[in-house]
Amino acid sequence: MLAVLPQLIVSGIATGMLYALIALSVTVGYRATTVVNFGHGDLVMAGAYATFVFVGSGLPFAPALILALASLFLFGVLTQRVFMQPIINGPHLSLAMMALAIGYAVRGGARLEWGSEVVILGRPYDQGAFMVGSVVLTMDDLVISGFVVALLLTLAIVFHITPIGRLIQAVFQSQRGAALVGLNVHAFHGMMWGAGAALGAAGGVLLGLLVPLSPDLGVYTLIRGFAAMTLGGFGSPFGAVVGGIVLGMMEKLLGFYVSTVFIDITAYLVTILVLLIRPSGLFGQRATVRI
Amino acid sequence: MATPDDILVARGVEAGYGKKQILFGVDFAVAKSEVVALLGANGSGKSTALNTISGFVRPLAGSIQFEGAEIAGKPPHQIFRRGVIQVSQARDLFMDMSVEDNLRLGAWVRGGQVADLLDGVFQSFPRLAERRQQVVRLMSGGEQQMVAIGRALMGNPKILLLDEPSGGLAPIFVNEIAAIIKALKKTGIAMMIIEQNIKLALSVADRFLILREGRVSQHHDVRSGAVNEEEIVRSIYL
Repeated sequence: MLAVLPQLIVSGIATGMLYALIALSVTVGYRATTVVNFGHGDLVMAGAYATFVFVGSGLPFAPALILALASLFLFGVLTQRVFMQPIINGPHLSLAMMALAIGYAVRGGARLEWGSEVVILGRPYDQGAFMVGSVVLTMDDLVISGFVVALLLTLAIVFHITPIGRLIQAVFQSQRGAALVGLNVHAFHGMMWGAGAALGAAGGVLLGLLVPLSPDLGVYTLIRGFAAMTLGGFGSPFGAVVGGIVLGMMEKLLGFYVSTVFIDITAYLVTILVLLIRPSGLFGQRATVRI
Repeated sequence: MATPDDILVARGVEAGYGKKQILFGVDFAVAKSEVVALLGANGSGKSTALNTISGFVRPLAGSIQFEGAEIAGKPPHQIFRRGVIQVSQARDLFMDMSVEDNLRLGAWVRGGQVADLLDGVFQSFPRLAERRQQVVRLMSGGEQQMVAIGRALMGNPKILLLDEPSGGLAPIFVNEIAAIIKALKKTGIAMMIIEQNIKLALSVADRFLILREGRVSQHHDVRSGAVNEEEIVRSIYL
């Protein structure tokens, strides 16, 4: 039984990387605007479909991916400006309902085009596997982990070293303060909402390498993203990443050692237990959450 | 009432929050290098007036012109770009950043020679120079107020809007802040200042207005002669 442990951990980390990216993408929008985007899962789905469409139009995978991320960025900026900003000071429930409605509209759009049929995005590389000691590493594991690690490193550099990162931190710490130093906070919110959508879309594309696309793809991802955020500490970018990786490993370990049922329900259990036992998660601070 | 020297002119400004109107047709002007104090009891509309100038509150009616351009109802970042810079009552600092980072962010939008601006602020506030790497959260209220004023100065303001700069500070800091405002006045920067400490306000102001229930009830030129402090307190609160 123990012989498979290293394999489970490695596979768990690879899956967890995907969750980490999705949790981080929700966190980016949340940190900037203090609003949780309940429609985010559908943007994850839209990113995968957008790549599928661009690849279908004859573009190679990399440009199709970049174009899809740019489209989702723009979509995020626009939806924030047009639908969220006008009601930003309204009741929390209105914001949650608006985000949800936008998500459902996106899902509806996908259903209109593809119905409930699944489509295959297809890998831009050969599917292979390598043995490292007793552990099997698939190309999928390597591509997903490599992509997410590169993205996280880039974000860490932007966040901690560049002046843009300082500005982002400034808005996180005091929106009014940022406005007092002349920053256009509304435009900033739009940009961050867009950045969250683009990161989520990247997660959707990576997921699309593993599973067939369906308009309901977002539901699967959002639950895991939220669970990872809750586990890591709501609002903490570092927590989102760690939470995602830990959740990925827990799914594999519980799924193998206890019951395969746990692959599907670990995210829910983690959310419930963390909220009951340690609501601030591993790295979070108690904060006011606007849903 | 307005003179050619006036850089900020407000006429008939009405403003409020939601359905609650706070200002009812307020007029005032600030000339180049002039310091105008806005006095009044709590709830008289002082902060609302300042926030309406800086764009945080949208006026319901009236006009606010800065250097001849209409700024009423414009968003805060556009008003800031013109050099109208506010130090808010809550200070709104970036609490988990260092003093220097807070100051540098103050120069982000209006640009300029950041190193020179930083030197200027550190000369005005030697206390901040000593603590430039300190996280703002760990500083006293008086020091934080200095960071807030310093951050506003980094934007190279044409007019500084100070909302209760001595509010909640220990007496030693009140004196220090008063000295800073006087020194700033000597540099020729125009200021509009809200202050509960009447003595402080009168020691720096060229003119003052008293707001009462959202209207300007009195108008005095401090330069024209002796001002009876007791009488002012009475007209504010009674």
